[in-house]
Amino acid sequence: MSRFTKFGKRYRDKALGIVIPIVAILLAFVVGAVIILFLGKNPIEGYGLLFSGALGNPGRVAQSLMSACPLIFTSLAVAFAYKCGVFNLGGEGQFIMGATVTMMVLQVTGIQGVPGILLGILVGIIAGGIWGLLPGIMKITRGLNELITTIMLNYVATLFMNYIYSGPFHDPDSGNLQTPAVADSVNLIRVDRMHFGVIIAILMAVVVWYVIYKTSFGFKIRAVGINPTAARVAGFPVKRLVLLSFIISGAIAGFGGSVDLLGRQYRLMTGFGSGFGFSGVAIALIAQLNPIGSMVVALFFGMLTTGASSMQVGIMVPSAILDIIRALIIIFAVSGMALMKLPTFKNLLNRRPMDQEGLMPPATGDKKVEVSE
Amino acid sequence: MEEMLRMEGISKRFGTFYANRGVNLDIRRGEVHTLLGENGAGKSTLMNILIGLYQPTEGKIFMGGEEVHITSPAVAVEHGIGMVHQHFMLIEAMTGFENIILGSKVNPSALIEEAKDKKAIMELADRYGLEVDLDLPVSEMSIGMQQRVEILKVLYRGAELLILDEPTAVLTDQEVEGLFEILKSLTDEGKSVIFISHKMREVTRISNRVTVLRAGESVETLEMADTNGQELSDLMIGHHYVESTYKKVDGGKPVLEIKDVSYHPAEKHGGLKNVDLTVHAGEIVGIAGIDGNGQSQLAALVAGLIAPESGEVWRNGEKVAVFSPEDFIDQGLGNIPEDRNKMGLVGDMTVAQNLILKETESDRFSFGHGLWLKSKAIQEFADAKREQNDIRCTSVNQTARSLSGGNQQKVILARELDGDPEVLIAVYPTRGLDIGATNFIHDSIVAQRDKGCAVLLISADFDEVLKLSDHIAVLFEGEIMGQYSGENPPIDQISLAMAGK
Amino acid sequence: MDVFLGSMPDVLATTIRMTVPLLFVALGELFSERAGLVNIGLDGLMTIGAFTGFVVGYQTGNLWLGVLCGAVAGIAVNLIYAFCTVSLRVDQTVTGMAINILAPGIATFAYKVIFGDGSTLVQGTTMDKLAIPGLSAIPFVGDILFNQTLLAYLAYIAVPLCWFYFARTRGGLNFRSVGENPQAAETLGIDAIKTKYLASIVCGALAGIGGAFLTLCYTSTYATGVVAGRGFIALAAVIFGRWSSVGILGATLLFGFFDAVQIALQVSAPTVPYQFFAMIPYVFTIVALFFFNAQKGGPKANGKPYFREER
Repeated sequence: MSRFTKFGKRYRDKALGIVIPIVAILLAFVVGAVIILFLGKNPIEGYGLLFSGALGNPGRVAQSLMSACPLIFTSLAVAFAYKCGVFNLGGEGQFIMGATVTMMVLQVTGIQGVPGILLGILVGIIAGGIWGLLPGIMKITRGLNELITTIMLNYVATLFMNYIYSGPFHDPDSGNLQTPAVADSVNLIRVDRMHFGVIIAILMAVVVWYVIYKTSFGFKIRAVGINPTAARVAGFPVKRLVLLSFIISGAIAGFGGSVDLLGRQYRLMTGFGSGFGFSGVAIALIAQLNPIGSMVVALFFGMLTTGASSMQVGIMVPSAILDIIRALIIIFAVSGMALMKLPTFKNLLNRRPMDQEGLMPPATGDKKVEVSE
Repeated sequence: MEEMLRMEGISKRFGTFYANRGVNLDIRRGEVHTLLGENGAGKSTLMNILIGLYQPTEGKIFMGGEEVHITSPAVAVEHGIGMVHQHFMLIEAMTGFENIILGSKVNPSALIEEAKDKKAIMELADRYGLEVDLDLPVSEMSIGMQQRVEILKVLYRGAELLILDEPTAVLTDQEVEGLFEILKSLTDEGKSVIFISHKMREVTRISNRVTVLRAGESVETLEMADTNGQELSDLMIGHHYVESTYKKVDGGKPVLEIKDVSYHPAEKHGGLKNVDLTVHAGEIVGIAGIDGNGQSQLAALVAGLIAPESGEVWRNGEKVAVFSPEDFIDQGLGNIPEDRNKMGLVGDMTVAQNLILKETESDRFSFGHGLWLKSKAIQEFADAKREQNDIRCTSVNQTARSLSGGNQQKVILARELDGDPEVLIAVYPTRGLDIGATNFIHDSIVAQRDKGCAVLLISADFDEVLKLSDHIAVLFEGEIMGQYSGENPPIDQISLAMAGK
Repeated sequence: MDVFLGSMPDVLATTIRMTVPLLFVALGELFSERAGLVNIGLDGLMTIGAFTGFVVGYQTGNLWLGVLCGAVAGIAVNLIYAFCTVSLRVDQTVTGMAINILAPGIATFAYKVIFGDGSTLVQGTTMDKLAIPGLSAIPFVGDILFNQTLLAYLAYIAVPLCWFYFARTRGGLNFRSVGENPQAAETLGIDAIKTKYLASIVCGALAGIGGAFLTLCYTSTYATGVVAGRGFIALAAVIFGRWSSVGILGATLLFGFFDAVQIALQVSAPTVPYQFFAMIPYVFTIVALFFFNAQKGGPKANGKPYFREER
């Protein structure tokens, strides 16, 4: 058996993992272009403005990076939990709770400077973790479907934040529904034109990658995510691991909320964190739950967000077209991955003279008859 | 005798792999025709082609001399072909009645006409001696009754040719007798039966003719009257078959003692009632019995997955206080669980990862108790195990799911026997495996016994229990019905005990 | 509190009304799950239904055409779901999420294209109530039950129809078998793939109508977030109602009641921040599930992809 075939399939799968999302992105942009054309506008001009708006000068680049920062956190939250078989749709609520509690604690205690930043972030992480813990407890004790509970908790968190900025922490000097800005001294340190949080986010991606792929803990998390029964038989504390994954996932999102508050938004207001949870889901899925991939896709999404307004102003196409493009990217990406797994397609890919799979019947009788699964 | 079905030159390819190649089969009216072959010989594929679930890559099918194209299960039904699958194709949440009329066009009315349909079904049931309770949900039926529902299902659709896939595997001896009587009444009325089995005792008794399949090809078709079990076995595996035997031994000190344990004792098919059992060092205790009589619960108990409701479990003279798989594994438990895909392997992880599944925190495979996994050490270990256990795969980095059943079982065996466990539980260890893999597993288990391991073997395959066990206990409806020596066991007595007598 | 009790008939009438969108969607989900498809994209389907219903109703002045187009839009979007999950075997949850992201994107985009980027919402009209002669005159009950929009009556009529279909017809029995055990169903000549597509069409239509009800019988305008998680609450209602149409009616009435209560409380207790009342439906959904969750039950092959050899 040649070395080529021994490793060829693995490399091919890895390559597909990168090629498919790229193709999905291109396809989604093509569909977007068709829509723009349909409206009688010029898609090339539009996309030109989109990318120049996102990357045209250092200020824009910094803006894109800062837009990406919260998305990195929420996508990592989704990716981590999903590795353990937990579909956390509550990133938004956890993000909001993180930011809200950070804001409240800083306002009430009035702690300034770096201690304030550290305290703010710490309570944000804890708040997010608790908001993740709740659906976790519901799942492991009563088997509640986290898809439903996390969404419900998103609404509760949003309403709670709404109460905070329109009630007890309302900015008396503002006619808008918002809190006052946090003190300047607790703003995140700036690195060039962006805040330090971006670097934290990127480091976070590396840390999550390390935990998932390089530690025994991550190994167990993954095993539980794939086959909880086998994991339990192998002696893993399955419920504890599931609960931990909820908490860690929520904590990552809460962390993101604090960072976004202290680095970019400075205050809570209507729409704070809105859509970040679902964007996180989208990003994690496109990246096939790979933390580093999530970071890259999040950076791309951040770019789109920043460039969208330039495009809207330039060619008068609503920036919401990017929501459609983003959703199409997920659909194309996951469909693409699924397509590769379909038998007809597999056969097409495998029909190469060097391939040895013919000698390796797919488990004969009991396995290949997938009907029996 | 008149020909009913002829399959000519049937081939079926999956990717680059031929599950069937040039298979010929002909069935006469009113005969029981056995399809004999090892697991993976292509029996299921051939039958799935016949009932329209698969389309053949090549070949022709004739019914009553005319060529037919069975493009879907519905077409198979039209041609009077019906199959009783090994894993029953029943809907557990529905009643027997609902299962029987499901999808059928016998009564074309859009509404369910319960009284009318039931009458028709009961007539059939009486005619062939199929005793069923139509109003009972399938989930509450005994296995035997479920099988009768399956048979009624195909008869209701007017089947002339019935395919029974391993129908006796799940039945008690008495139920097997009942089934054979049903088969007789079917063939007496001119219906034909394709009987799939590898239990030679039954094959020689019930068959009119036998077609042997090997590695996807049909080897030969023989009149049962002109052949015998030995010849058929030889044809099936392709060389002279010699039954391996193992020396029976006496155990040492008691390692695992189960004392008067009960778990959901009211349940006949999922509980344990006052079980007393001792496994000594260096012996194999075999649990015989029909599937679903508490075997899963006994295995779960010994693996620490469930705690007894009453009674005690002792390990090495000490009472077990905490029932958790972690603790049991730490104390030296090896476990070959009953369902390798669901319980034994993390299918989407690699072979290598499955081999070190329980060891990720050990210094062998990680720094700092799991803080950094040593990929190289894992790779080397996996390659060594692959060599030792003859695990056939292109690379240890392919997913465990992609291996054949036998190789999957070898992965589990390699993992569980690593570090020589003090206690080994083997539940249905060779289910669905071919003779080669079966022998390998048996040899490994016996070798482990000889190293002093206390082995608890749970199997629905009576022959396997007889072959390996130094001591035999029979489980029936959660109770131990009797315990026997493995040396010259009283087979008739054990058979009766398995049926609760 | 007196104010609250005095408004009880109002609360009950509102309950009957607020139950309608949940009921439509939950019945849609019932069809989907009975064919083994857990569709969590209901929020998205409702959104597209709400938007399409509103736009068509507003532009043509024909609200029933709006309802119809809402249903068609729901079907169209749900066919994406069906194609991905059934034909491509993409994970159902993932696909549902994609729908939840796609549909609001389409709605928001199209809204801005049609109505511009103004900040004021375009006001449409809502359907007239249709008092049923005689019945609506019954004291107390009459005004609550029989003075609703025609669309609301249709939702309630759908319940016994669904029950009858699943319990009494061969088609319904065959349909259910696909959600329980598609392999078995296929061996009996039932086309599992076709059934799943059919289920998706019914689900898309009902969810679209449920969404259209929100804009055409409730808010009279389309705003982002109008669905407000009702798709997920309906998902909970299906579990809570134990996958039976009658159970779902009970569950959605309960959830509708809490929605009505929070609306009434916001009015009657202005001193308490309204946000806490607005949380009630969401918190209650969790509480209800916590105490009455069905870990088992439901179609056995729910959520699992079905593999059939390519023909």
